[in-house]
This record gives sequence, structure tokens and C-alpha cells, in this order.
Amino acid sequence: MRRGFENIKLRDDEKIPVFKNVLYAVRLVWKADKRLLLSYLYSNIIDNVFQYYIQSILFLKILLSIIDSGADFKVYFRKLLAFFGVTVFIKISVWAAAYVRQVSTKNVLKVLNNMVFRKASQLDVGQYEDPEFYDKYQRATNVMSSGYFDIVCWDVAAIIGGIISFLLVIGTVISVNPVYLLFLAPSIIVFVIETAKSKAVFKRDKEMTTNNRTKAYVQRTVFLKDFSKDMRTSNIFSVMMKRFDGAIKGNIEILRSYGLKLFLYSMASTLCSEFIPVIGTYMYAGWQFVSKKALTASGFSVVISAVGAVNGMSWYIQEGFDDLIQMSLYFQNLREFFEYETGIKDGERTAEKFQSLEFKNVSFRYPSAKKNSVNNVSFKIEKGETVALVGINGAGKSTLVKLILRFYDVTDGEILLNGINIKEYTVESLRNSFATVFQDYKNFAVSVFENVMCRECSDEDKIKAQKALEAAGVWDKVKSLPNGGDTVLTREFEEDGAGLSGGENQKVSTARLFARQYEMAILDEPSSALDPIAEYKMYENLIKATKDKTVMYISHRLSSAVLSDRVFVLQNGSIIESGTHKELLERGGKYSEMFKLQASAYKREGENENV
Amino acid sequence: MFKFIKKKRETEHSVFSNIAYFVGLMFKFSPGLVIGELFSSIIRNLPSKLISVIGIKYIIDTVSEGKDMNRVYKAVLIIAGVLILSNVLSLLYREFYWNMAKERLYYKLNSTLYEKAHSLDLQNYDDPDFYNNFILTIESSSENIQGLLGMVQNYIGNIVSLIAVSSVIFVIDPVCLLIIFASIIIFMPLSTKIGKLQMGRRIDNTKFHRRSDYFQRIFYLQDYAKEVRMNNIRPLLMSRYNEAADDVIANQDKYWKKIASCYAVQQVGVQALGFMFVLPMYLGYCVCVKKTLSAGDFVATFNGAYSIAMSLNFLTVWASAVFSERAKMIEKYRGFLKSDFKIKDGKATAKITEPKTIKIENMSFTYPGNGEPTLKNINLEIKPYEKIALVGYNGAGKTTLTNLLLRLYDVTDGSILIDGQNIKDVTVSSHRDRFSAVFQDFQTFACSVGENVALDENVDSERVLKALRHSGFSKEFKNGTDTELLREFDDEGIMLSGGESQKIAIARAFYKNCPYIILDEPSANLDPIAEYNLNKAMIEAANRKTVIFISHRLSTTVVADKIYVMENGEIIEAGSHGELMAQNGTYAKMFTLQSEKYKK
Repeated sequence: MRRGFENIKLRDDEKIPVFKNVLYAVRLVWKADKRLLLSYLYSNIIDNVFQYYIQSILFLKILLSIIDSGADFKVYFRKLLAFFGVTVFIKISVWAAAYVRQVSTKNVLKVLNNMVFRKASQLDVGQYEDPEFYDKYQRATNVMSSGYFDIVCWDVAAIIGGIISFLLVIGTVISVNPVYLLFLAPSIIVFVIETAKSKAVFKRDKEMTTNNRTKAYVQRTVFLKDFSKDMRTSNIFSVMMKRFDGAIKGNIEILRSYGLKLFLYSMASTLCSEFIPVIGTYMYAGWQFVSKKALTASGFSVVISAVGAVNGMSWYIQEGFDDLIQMSLYFQNLREFFEYETGIKDGERTAEKFQSLEFKNVSFRYPSAKKNSVNNVSFKIEKGETVALVGINGAGKSTLVKLILRFYDVTDGEILLNGINIKEYTVESLRNSFATVFQDYKNFAVSVFENVMCRECSDEDKIKAQKALEAAGVWDKVKSLPNGGDTVLTREFEEDGAGLSGGENQKVSTARLFARQYEMAILDEPSSALDPIAEYKMYENLIKATKDKTVMYISHRLSSAVLSDRVFVLQNGSIIESGTHKELLERGGKYSEMFKLQASAYKREGENENV
Repeated sequence: MFKFIKKKRETEHSVFSNIAYFVGLMFKFSPGLVIGELFSSIIRNLPSKLISVIGIKYIIDTVSEGKDMNRVYKAVLIIAGVLILSNVLSLLYREFYWNMAKERLYYKLNSTLYEKAHSLDLQNYDDPDFYNNFILTIESSSENIQGLLGMVQNYIGNIVSLIAVSSVIFVIDPVCLLIIFASIIIFMPLSTKIGKLQMGRRIDNTKFHRRSDYFQRIFYLQDYAKEVRMNNIRPLLMSRYNEAADDVIANQDKYWKKIASCYAVQQVGVQALGFMFVLPMYLGYCVCVKKTLSAGDFVATFNGAYSIAMSLNFLTVWASAVFSERAKMIEKYRGFLKSDFKIKDGKATAKITEPKTIKIENMSFTYPGNGEPTLKNINLEIKPYEKIALVGYNGAGKTTLTNLLLRLYDVTDGSILIDGQNIKDVTVSSHRDRFSAVFQDFQTFACSVGENVALDENVDSERVLKALRHSGFSKEFKNGTDTELLREFDDEGIMLSGGESQKIAIARAFYKNCPYIILDEPSANLDPIAEYNLNKAMIEAANRKTVIFISHRLSTTVVADKIYVMENGEIIEAGSHGELMAQNGTYAKMFTLQSEKYKK
């Protein structure tokens, strides 16, 4: 079974210690819920031993030797009864174990997910933005979302079961006649051949990776709604189909080039696993009978069954190892995730009432970036001030916010809250001092009230939430939902849930700000999804709600700057101008250029009115 | 809910019909592959099954009866020959034909699907049921091929070996065959019950999993990371996840108690009682007491019993479960391929000409499934070379209007005329060729810069560069217009910022040789300076074309020849900027609000 390798890019020098990872996986599952591993071990070992040894070899051997020896039917019957008893016990206990397994696997999923959630919420936001880490993290989550933990348990148990019955079978064959081992020996070589073959297949699949990614991409452009309009109003579809055709042709070439190699491997493997053992056993048995008259029916059929059993088991074990090699990478990623040390360390102080926020010569460079995103920035915001950060896209506005909230730590310089470096505060208390509305705000599939309060809501909470929703200008809409403020914001799994429009969603997430205690508000483009009138109202409400509070607006629309006590203009990570709106206009620098451009259209009208 | 599902089922095709349909489809595209699967299934299964039953019997009997040993050697040689031949044939087939034929079949099937998807009406994307089926259909395509080919092979293989093994045992002793079939058939109803229980479990589990998967996603995905950190909402989300996870566990417990018991009873019945007790007792009695059967018969029958049980189990329980799962997928597949589209081609072919008058007459439009019309009785006339601005609140119907112009949807009432000709009277593609549209949610594609601007296989590099200059795109590329965008399959691919992507999208409008341009919020991702430049470029472009644009920012609308203000699907004001300001209506109010802060 090959899984998911198509989308994984591995560096060639990356070595994955399979054994260590599997051991880690087993320990992890064992800690989560012992029942899962125990039930797998029990049912796979017993099942294996039963199927390949008791039923197909031991049973035949004992009964046939009774027949061969011409003993009494009563002896035969007593043995048969004993086998019957054992089989009934095994069948019932194996299915009891299956029941335990099916329940405990879901419990393991829950426990592991809880561990991941806890760890994930401690991660630095910066980690999410690092593609290499994020890739690994996404792969690690496959352990849960694709149930790989289950597969590992199955494989480990299957391999152990396979080896045990393998030894039992060999023992029985030796007891019949050790010479037969000669014919079984090639089955061992099969392991080597099959391993070489999987390597070739793996290499082949790797060569097809790029083509398969192209196939997947073309498919996405065809069925994703995002692309649908562009696809329909242009000829880009033909470009995509050409790429699809090219990818298929490339794959066929690769498949063809591996054809002979794989054929030879497979042929060698069948020769060793089926042909030599079967033919050899038949030949030897015949020879033995003629020359020594020493063969019994029971001995012969035991050896023939053993050939079948050894084949079955080596396939089983092989499959198990193949799977483990593939699973190993995912567990390695999971371990790295759990063992990852967050770069953002907690301080010890608790952030108290807001007095001032100061940037002192702050510089910042994103990990693996070549240039600083923030360059030697210094400014101070006093209690009760309203400031605006303006600048074109990519000037570093949102980065400054990330630094204040310690999503990243500064590369140089320091940020002081109330005169103390923010690294000295606990991250939680620091972040609690700020209320934020992000450009890429998100709502959750919990009730509207819970979305506002961010916790299970008491009746008192609901009243608070309602007030906040009123202030955000979305209560009328919320009231009209099937369950009012208790309506869950999704239709995905809640039949009487509801979806809101972009603007309404933004308002709900803004209501969060109105509902909470905070020292300073940071508003990152809070009006991007709103139409002019809604935007105007939103600002009006925000000004009301944040009266007496310290506020930082971030926008590339300069209209918000007019409302502020002070304006900072950012360009290429540096503050190039600062002052009041008026001062900056008078200075005639970048700000006034931007403002005039934006205002030019409006101003023309303004002049007309004056006429 | 459940009743509803049942009712729907009645109109569906039978499992058999669906399977036959898809096998037929595969046969149409790749007859060699289907026939190859049939033969290779026989070649791979029959010899080894027969050898394990007849071969052993023949040899044990010959040996124990002390007959001529040459016969044994001859038999062994025949077995060896058959084994080698069958292996060589089936491996040759697999490595030199099957692999590649499958890839080719995938291509043919998926191209058909993609063509179909491409010709779908946009409104189908809005219908969640249809859309889900549509995605499932496309995503399951390769799985369907692989799964069905495998199933065909296994199915035929098992039928063949069932018949072969049964006849051998029948010849040995019909009573044995009777015991084998009786023990399987007596416990068959349990299999049906297990199937039903599994189905019920899956349905319930999907429901509970949908909830737990959602909360899982929140923690897994980057999108929510900032929000979760700033709001202390983690405890709430985790307790919601745990509730859902507990539901899954309880559901699993409920069903598996029953499923495991059924399995246990069935296996004790068939395997323990039937095969390991009743059958060997009868055999032992025949061999030891009655002496009617030989030791070879004993082994052959015993091995044969398992082979029959496995084949029967496969053919009844397993195959029917897999086939019916598969058939459900194929049902969706068929539904998708059969789905009809409503936007039909007209007879005439529209020509690329100089801009002509666009006239919208008494037009209304209601989204399918909506009660309320989105556009009501729209009348407007756009003269050649005019710059038209559509403004209004969110949801006023501006984007819908442009969708109708492009025939992404068709009007419910009224008509749209270009140069006096109803746009329904020309072919859809020739109609759309007359327009260049930059949508609010435009996409960049993982192909070259040139292809991204031209949106076509044939790229005129000179013109691409010119269009990029017009849209204010200043980035230099290593390989010029051949440089790949995005890292989808080129690790060296260029990643663009939001503003840069938007400029690429706008360049498309400048590149395309067409009389009409539609721009939906073209400046949303641009900073003030880029926005200003864009406005200038647009005005220049409009010297040669008609431009229709939508904007929230009224600063851009000032330059329009005519502004249409929309509210609740109606045009409430129309006129030039000056006229509308003089009217002192909604436009004037909106404009004043926005410009207030820019006045000194």
C-alpha cells in the first residue's frame, strides 16, 4: 500500500531512522490508551498463528497422522473436539479484541489531538509562516487525520504475529524432515528482492512527482470555484489541458522505462516464493518415497501447506515493513512538532494598567529573509492617544503589530510596555492587554455570542455580547437568525446554523473588541470588507468605543489617519514621517503626496461645492 | 431526513447498472485494459487454486497407492510448466501494459470530465449539493478506475476458482460440498446484518466526525492561529472538540458491540463448527471407518473448503459491499456527466469589432433557489467608448450585473443587446471573446507570466510586456515572459504579492484584443499611488474600448462618463458625477461621507 508520497518533497540527504520513529509511535499510542496496542497485538498474533499455523498446518498434521497410523476413530474424534474448543475460544476472543480496538482507536485520536491542540496553541505564529515547518506540521497532523497511528499499531502487531507463526511453521517442518527447509529457504531471499523492488518503485514514483503535482493542480483549477470565472472568460483552459496531456505523457515514459526492471524483480520474486518451494517439495517427496518408502501423507501435506503459509507470512511481514517505512516520516514530524521549543519565551511579570508603549531602535528580520522588514524604528505612544500607522502594502505595518503582540520577537532593539521590556511579561498577560481586529479576521463555528465572548456564555455574558453586537452594528442581523445570538455560525455540521456575509462577519469579529476588557486597541484594516456607509458607521462606533483608550489604526486608506492624534508613515520598514495630520500635510512629504493623490478626486468635488 | 434519502434512492440506477455503465465507459476508452484484466484474473487464479486442490490429491494418492512414480514426475513437470507460463504472462501484462494503459485511461476519462466541468454553468457552483458531487466525481475518478479494474479481476477470478474447486470436491464426495455450502449459507443472514450495521455506523460517524474535524482544522490550519492566540478561545474550542470526539467514541461503542458479536457468531458457526468440526468429522469417518475416501481426498477437501469459503465470502459480502459503495460514486459520476446546462449557444458567431452600444432592457434576475430577485427591471444603455461606473452597497447587485453581461448566468427576464443583437443569439464563447474581465477574486495560474497575461496558449511576448507596463507592473523576470509563476511545480517559480497579482490581472484586460473591459474592484489591493496610476491607465485604455467598472471607492468613479448607483437590485440614480452630486441623493451622501476626511 503506497500512500501520500506524491506530494512530499524530501531532500535527498534526509535520513529517516525508521526503527526509532516506530518505537516513538508505539510509545505515544501506548501512553494515549493501552487498550489499542494490546488489542492489536492480541488479535494479530492470535489470528496469524491460527490462520497460518494451527488451522493450515497443526490441524492437518495431527489429524492426518492419526489417519496414517490407522488409530481408532475415537482418538480422532477427541482431538477434533479439542481443536473445536480452541477455535471457538480464539474466534470469540479475537472479535472481542476487535470491539475494544474499534472503540479505543477513537479514544487515541482524541487524546493525541488534545496533545497537538495544546502544543499548537503554544507555537509561535512565526512558525506557521515558515513553509518548511508548516509542511512538516501538516504532515505530522496526518498521523491523526489519516489515522496513521492505527496503521502503525496494525503493522507492528502483524510483523510480530508473522514472525511468531513463521518460527512455529519452521519448527514443524523441521520435525517432519529438515531437508525441506532447503526448499523454503528461497522464500527468505524474497525479502531481499522485494525490498529492491520497492526501492525501484519508490524511485519511479518520485520521478513522477512533478507530473502528478501538475495533474493535481490542473484538476484543482477545473473544479475550484475560485478559478471558475477566469476559466470561462478566457482560453486558459486550453493551456491547462496542454499541461495535463504533457504530465500524462511524461508519466507513461517513466513507467515504460521501469517496465523491464520491475518485470525481472517480480519474476525472480515469484520463482523464489512459489516455484522453487512447490516444485522442489513435490520432487523431493516423490524421490523420498521411491528410494526410502519413507513419506507419509501427513508429512507431505504439512510441507506443502508450509510453503503456502511461509508465502502468506512473508507477504504480510513485507507489507508491514513497507508501511512502517512510510509511516515513519510522519511520526518523525510529529515528534519534532512535540519537541519543538517555542522561540517566544514567557517572562514573569504580569502586564498592568497601560501607561505607554515605546519602540526603541527596533529592527526585525523574518527568519530566512534577506532584508530587514523593520529598520531601526523608534516611537512612543502615551496613554489615551490615537495613532495611525500608514504606508503602502509591504511597508511593514502589520509586522509592527506582530512584534507588539510577540508573534515574533524583535531582532534588535526593544519594545517597552510601561517602561519595561515586553519580554519580561508573561505572553498571556501581554496579549490580554490588547484588543485586536485583524485584517484577516476569523470567526468560529460556535454561537454568535460565544464568538464575541470567546467562552461558554452565561446569561450575563449574552447581555454583554448583545451590547457589543449592537455597537458593531450587526445585532439586527443576528436577531433575525434562527436562534438569534445562540445560532452557530456554520451550516457545515449544524442544521439550524447560519452563514453571514463578509461584512457581517467582520462586524461580529469587531464586536469582540467591544465586549472585552483591554488597555489598548489595535485595528488592522478593520473596514476592508465594508461599503462606504458601513465603513463610516464602523469608524464612528470604534471611536465611541475606544474613547479614553489607547488606539492604533493601521490602514492604507488615509481617511483613518485624519482621526488620529498622531500619524506614523512607514516606508520599507522605517518611519519616514511622523506628526499630526496637519503637520504632515504642511511638511509636503510622502504623506501629503499620498493624501493628495487619494483626495484629488474628492477634493475636486469639494471645490465645486465651494463655488 | 432519512425518509428523504430513501425517496431519492428510488430514482437512482441499480448497483449493477452503475457498475456496468462504468465498466462500459472504461471499455470504450481502453478495451485492451478491460479484456486484459479478465484474462489475467483467470491466468493468475486458476492454476494455483487447482494445484493446491487437485495437485496435492493426485500426488498423495499416487504415492500412497504405490503407483508408478513416473506419473508423479510427469505431473510435477506439468505443474511447473503451467505455473511458469501463467506467471510470465501475467507479469508481462502488468509491467508492460497495465501500468501505462491505466495512465492513458485516466487521461481520457478525466479530460472528458474536465471538458464537461468547463462547460458547466456557473450557477452549478452555487448549488452546494451539485458542487459536492462534482468534486467527489472528479476526485474519485482515478480511484474508480483502480478500484473497478481490481474488482473485475477479483470477481472473475473468484467465480472461476469457486466453480473449479467446487467441481473437484463434488467429484470427491458431494456430501462434503453440501456440508461446506450449508455451513456458509446458514450463517449468511448475519453477513447481511453486519453490512447494515456497518452502513449505519458509517453514516452516524460521518455526522459526528464532521463536527470534530472542524475543530481539528482550526488548530491545524494557519488561518486561525492569530485569532486563537489573541482571544483565549482555546478552552471553548477544545471542549467543543472533546464533546464531538466523545460522540464519535460512543457511536463506535454502540455499533461495534453488535458488529463484533455478529462476526464472532458467524465465524464460530462457519469456521469452527462447519470447517473445523463437522467437515473433518465426516472426512475422518469416511477415511478411517468407511474407507471410502483417501488421505489425498481429505487434504484436498479440507483445503478446498477454505478456498470456497473465501471465494463465496468475497463474491457475496465483500464484493457487494464494495460494489455498492463504488456504485454510489458512479451514480454521482453519471449524474455529473448527464447534467444539462442552461446557458445555451446561440446560432450566430459574434465578431470582434469596434465597441458598439450595449443595451439592457427591462432585465431582471433571480439566483436559482432564491425567492428574492437580485436584479429588478434594469434598463441602461452603454455607448461605445464610455467609461461606466457601478457603485452601491455590498449586495446591491453590481457583480451580478457584470456576470449577466458575460453570460456567466442568463437573465431571468428582459434582454441584453449588443449592437441590437440579443447576446443569447450568439455562441457563448464568441460572446465572451468580446470581453475582458478582471474579477474581484481573480486568480493567477501556475503557468508562465506570458500565459498568465494572455490566458491563452499563444503568447505575444511584446504585447504582454506592453500590457504589464500599462498596468504598472515593474518587476523584472529572469526568463522574461516565460518565467513560471507560483511554486506549484517549479521551485524557482515567482511568488507575487497581492498588489502585483492584481496588476497581472489588470494587464490581461489591456492585452486582450476586445472591445469591452469589465473591472470589478480593480484597486482593492493597491496602495494610493498604484491606484492613481491605474486610474490614469484605464482612462487611456478607454480611448479605444468601453470600460465598465465596479468600485467601492468613489474617488475612482469621478472620472466615469456615467455612474449607475445601485441599491437592492435596482438602479436608483444615474448620471455623471456632477449631475449626481447636484441631485443630492444617495451618491452624494456616500461621496460626502467618504470625502469628508480629505477636505482640509
